[in-house]
Amino acid sequence: MKPLVVDQVVKQYGDKTAVNGISLEVDRGEIYGLLGANGAGKTTTMRMVLGLIFPDEGKILYDGKPYSKEQLRRIGYLPEERGLYPKVKVSDQLVYLARLKGMSAADADRSLKQWLERFGVPEYYGKRVEELSKGNQQKIQFIATIIHQPQLLILDEAFSGLDPVNVELLKATVKELRDNGSTILFSTHRMEHVEELCRQITILRYGNEVLGGSLKEIKGRFPREKVRLAADGDIDGLERLPGVLGVKALEQGGWEIRIADEASGRGILRHAMAQAEVSRFEILEPTLNEIFIKTVGETHE
Amino acid sequence: MNDFLNVTGFTFRNKTRGKAFIVTTIILVAILSLVINLPYIISLFKGEGGSSAKQVGYASVQAEAAESRVTPTLVGGWLEEYFASQPEEARSLAMVPIDASGDAAADEAALKAAIADGRIDGYIQLQPNADTGFYDAVYKSEKMMDGSSAEELRAGLQLVKANAAGLTPEQKQLLYSPVDVKSVQINAGTGEEDGRSATQQGINMGLVYAILFLLFMSIMATGQIIASEVTTEKSSRIMEVLITSVSPLNSMFGKIFGMFLVGLLQIAIYVLAVFVNVSLPTNKGALGDMNIHLSEVSPDLLIVALLFYLTGYFLYATLYAAVGSLVSRTEDLGQAVMPLTFLSLGGFYLGMFNLAAPDSMLVKITSFIPFFSPYVMVLRSGVGSVEYWEIGLSLLIMLVSIYVFGWLSAKIYRTGVLLYGKRPSFKELRKAMKAYKI
Repeated sequence: MKPLVVDQVVKQYGDKTAVNGISLEVDRGEIYGLLGANGAGKTTTMRMVLGLIFPDEGKILYDGKPYSKEQLRRIGYLPEERGLYPKVKVSDQLVYLARLKGMSAADADRSLKQWLERFGVPEYYGKRVEELSKGNQQKIQFIATIIHQPQLLILDEAFSGLDPVNVELLKATVKELRDNGSTILFSTHRMEHVEELCRQITILRYGNEVLGGSLKEIKGRFPREKVRLAADGDIDGLERLPGVLGVKALEQGGWEIRIADEASGRGILRHAMAQAEVSRFEILEPTLNEIFIKTVGETHE
Repeated sequence: MNDFLNVTGFTFRNKTRGKAFIVTTIILVAILSLVINLPYIISLFKGEGGSSAKQVGYASVQAEAAESRVTPTLVGGWLEEYFASQPEEARSLAMVPIDASGDAAADEAALKAAIADGRIDGYIQLQPNADTGFYDAVYKSEKMMDGSSAEELRAGLQLVKANAAGLTPEQKQLLYSPVDVKSVQINAGTGEEDGRSATQQGINMGLVYAILFLLFMSIMATGQIIASEVTTEKSSRIMEVLITSVSPLNSMFGKIFGMFLVGLLQIAIYVLAVFVNVSLPTNKGALGDMNIHLSEVSPDLLIVALLFYLTGYFLYATLYAAVGSLVSRTEDLGQAVMPLTFLSLGGFYLGMFNLAAPDSMLVKITSFIPFFSPYVMVLRSGVGSVEYWEIGLSLLIMLVSIYVFGWLSAKIYRTGVLLYGKRPSFKELRKAMKAYKI
């Protein structure tokens, strides 16, 4: 029984369809990526999973059971736009939020101290939120989301506004939660995070699922159309080879060549080896970024 | 229930620890203490022995004394005699003759000089009135709006006019001696002899005034705070986290109840401050002199006030919370709560303007209309006459409205907290409710 199953949910606001028949299944210990341009229906989908709004059609099951009050306690939610009480002490409001999730005050306090220690900011315990920098508020918000050890985590733009060091810190924490068996629904605009973390993804456009499934499989579906080439000498005539669509010389040396199909790659390699010593030759698989722009962007224009 | 108590506790702790709460409470306690101690403080400055009666000068022309007709000097003398005959504690004016020559301009200059010297507080001038055959008086003083002195002088002149007919000393004494008129309020419907005495009426009047004011302030202030709390939670998006943890009903009523406890604590502090100040030995005398005795306060009024404070608070608070949930930014809040403020203000004015006419039909009807009844019922039971069943019925109507509006507010709240952007119209709200399946 999967911890989270979203089955053909539809949500309409008036005559506008915000979400149109989306399905996804998330396993224990899995991070599921929910991608889409702004206004594609990510937040609506997440709100339906959170039980804030109810789907018009379809159903959402948690461990095979429909939504109930008890589910609330098992969910941790990090909203896209962060919110904490600015004038309340970190300890007060996090303990309050944890208690609303059913933790005892003592447990919540202990857990909070551990997390602050872990994030290297134990001195924030007695500070008011408005005294902290934006990035540090974000850390506190993240702790608020996970303090009660939720089994189902919903992270909306979890790493926005953080410096690279802190992104790594939180990413490591998310991975750890995943490895400990949490089920995580994850939304972001940063494709490299998705590639690093997610096993499966769904790409939404205008409320419709345009792409879904395992990341590996999706990438396999897209042709490899790019070659990275580096050599210790100059190579000319690349543009004239059959199947080559474009050549771009890179700042740091070497070339990036767009090709029509994977087979054209061999011709390029042969051509290059005839002229110089090749130090690097790679037929690149498409990045998620490219796939995203292709599926969402192209038809968009 | 646990969540409800949690929200209540959090709200209460944060508000009572806040600077705003502590500062306003201290300031109000200071003001209350000052007001209560004012009579005593004023009495300290009056200086002992000196009569508190106002000194009013009149031009006394030696030459006129001999004339047989009724001269201004003669009338002034009569007045002096009349005020002097009044019992000391009731005397508010004393006439002071100022030597004058009979020349109008010079006399006035002399009277003005007397004011400047501090010998008199004001003076009276008499001008013959051909129609009545007597004098018209002008009272001149440096004070603005000194109506009470003019009224005293008018009453005095009215009396002493009889001297023109020539009176024996006995007749004069009879004429000048004060007559005691008492006003007792009765309840004609029940025929009971539980009428309120004048001092009781005065106390009740003052108390109703104070309660209406307190009720209005408390409903307005706490309502505004509740609404702005909800809006802040919404605009800071903490609402999205909260609402996944606790049901909207619990979060709304938890907040309302928490604020209610804050308000109650504040009122308790004020009442305690009043009580302590009134019980000070120095104030007992000063207030007693003004005929204010706490024992005269009728407990019925206090109980009715408390009941209607409770119900009124919850009725308004739920609506304030609902309005707060519809607004996304704190800047827009003032405009959004305006209708509620006017509603509350309407009830307050109904109470205030009908203090003198507590048995009019308007008052009777509005005392059963939910948003006005907290104010108007306090008025009726304080200074008007009201039956127990009427209070009961009005309370019942209040409770039903709290239930209805609480339910409605909870629905609006549940929808409103997820609607961001511009304030939704009623139509949009209904549509959203349908969409959210609430």
